[in-house]
Amino acid sequence: MSTSTKKISNGVSSLNELSITEASKKLAAGEITSVQLVEACLAEIEKRNPSLNAFLEVFADAREQAASADLRRAKGESHPLLGIPLAIKDNILIEGRTASAASKILEHYVATYDATVIKKLKDAGAVFLGRTNMDEFALGGSTENSAFGVTKNPHDETRVAGGTSGGSAAAVASGMALGALGSDTGGSVRNPASFCGVVGFKPTYGAVSRSGLIAAVSSFDQIGPITKTVEDAELIFNTILGKDSLDSTSTENSKLKIENYKKIGVPRTLLTKGVEPEVLAHFESSLEKMRAQGYELVDMGLPSLDYALSAYYIINFAEVSTNLSRFDGVRYGLSLKGESLFDDYARSRGEGFGAETRRRIMLGTYVLSTGYYDAYYGKATAARTQLRKEFEDALKSVDFIATPTMPYPAWKVGEKSDPLAAYLADIFTVTANLTGNPAISIPMGMVEREGKRLPVGLQLTAAHGDEAALFAVGKLL
Amino acid sequence: MLSREEVLNLAALARLKLGEGEVESLQKDISNILEYVGQVSAVSVKSEQGSTLLKNVMREDVPAATLGKREELIKAFPKEENGYNVVRKIIQKDEPR
Repeated sequence: MSTSTKKISNGVSSLNELSITEASKKLAAGEITSVQLVEACLAEIEKRNPSLNAFLEVFADAREQAASADLRRAKGESHPLLGIPLAIKDNILIEGRTASAASKILEHYVATYDATVIKKLKDAGAVFLGRTNMDEFALGGSTENSAFGVTKNPHDETRVAGGTSGGSAAAVASGMALGALGSDTGGSVRNPASFCGVVGFKPTYGAVSRSGLIAAVSSFDQIGPITKTVEDAELIFNTILGKDSLDSTSTENSKLKIENYKKIGVPRTLLTKGVEPEVLAHFESSLEKMRAQGYELVDMGLPSLDYALSAYYIINFAEVSTNLSRFDGVRYGLSLKGESLFDDYARSRGEGFGAETRRRIMLGTYVLSTGYYDAYYGKATAARTQLRKEFEDALKSVDFIATPTMPYPAWKVGEKSDPLAAYLADIFTVTANLTGNPAISIPMGMVEREGKRLPVGLQLTAAHGDEAALFAVGKLL
Repeated sequence: MLSREEVLNLAALARLKLGEGEVESLQKDISNILEYVGQVSAVSVKSEQGSTLLKNVMREDVPAATLGKREELIKAFPKEENGYNVVRKIIQKDEPR
């Protein structure tokens, strides 16, 4: 295989700008090959990745993967994702490849099996271009917590790409990949999608198997697509969904039929504080757009939302501290020796984990300890149950809940150095993880900051299992 | 604000060695964050507990190579001898606390 980046004639060098749906049609019609698509992405990666830092590794065999996809097609196979180059978040295991979760403790960890989503994408014939940057162990909201440097926003390289799936969103927004997988624990797919101006989709809890996803918060985590269009997100979702015996929380969706979904609830009280006026203006005009298409808008209240962030973070800390206790330097990962067994653990973990990860492990240890458990973790799970019930009731009288995805556009690298300030940015995204509902972020316009145009996203949430309805309304926007 | 000792105790419980100068900022950050998330204490816990969606998911206990090949897993061991993972003695005198 040639390793040169030779230019292909007839405007083919912009193939990387196609959506998955467009590229898929051209592949099926025999107008282009997967090798050409991958070449176009690799050329863009060579140009932009050095400054964006979206990919932690570009797989050396991407062209070979593409050639084998082309061969599969020549032999008569067909799937919309056959030969489509995708980027994969660094916390999703691909057999034989490094998966570090952007942490030093897993810097040299090589996956020994495929995540279920990867198995499904391999069956479909997708090409994996590389693994993308993220906040370490998916803890953060800006990819600034990566052990391997921040990912820059393609719209303004002085700003963050969002997170935790910042690398995946930046890769898609800049045309380095046609689509990507991310994971969403408290907005980690939707937040960077909003900041980078692409579509980010978090499925219903249980819709997609997490086998082979490095766990952050097991009761919140879902794998979801980051794409240029809603159609593309639907395509990837339909390929990776389904019950899996390796993830006992996964379920089969029993309601894929869309009823006549027309009612959109807007929790106005939540929008009164903290949302930037320009973001709010775009939000209002997208509501107007939906109204013009026959959707009905209703004001709604969700009283338990006041506690959503607190409950979210307490549960996040608690589960992070337990999930990350498996990293102890004994079986795999960074292993440093001290004077005692205790020192072996404490050194491996102390030096292997970054500052935010250590902070959350300690906070989790605190909220789970005797004497504090009831006041923090107990109350948080109670608040979560109430919020879930409120959402269930609310989604009986409305079909969707609309909010901005983020209260503001992407911030400057380093701007939110106070961890609490960064947590507060997640106000609109964490609820879908607390309640398990599906939610999508769709670009709703651009705002100007210091002469640069920055994207902002609209978030729509639906009832459990109603992803088809979200895609249907999303396509109208 | 959390005391220096409280932070060091948490770090020990979590098996984390902290860097020099990190304790002070953790005292501040952890206290601020706990104060914020402590808002949740105002939530009234309804008496009926356990009305959750949680249910047991059982499966047959059948062995399968779901984690990959044995030899690949062994490669990840920090120290390997004859196909076994070499670890330090678990029970010994030098364990603090």
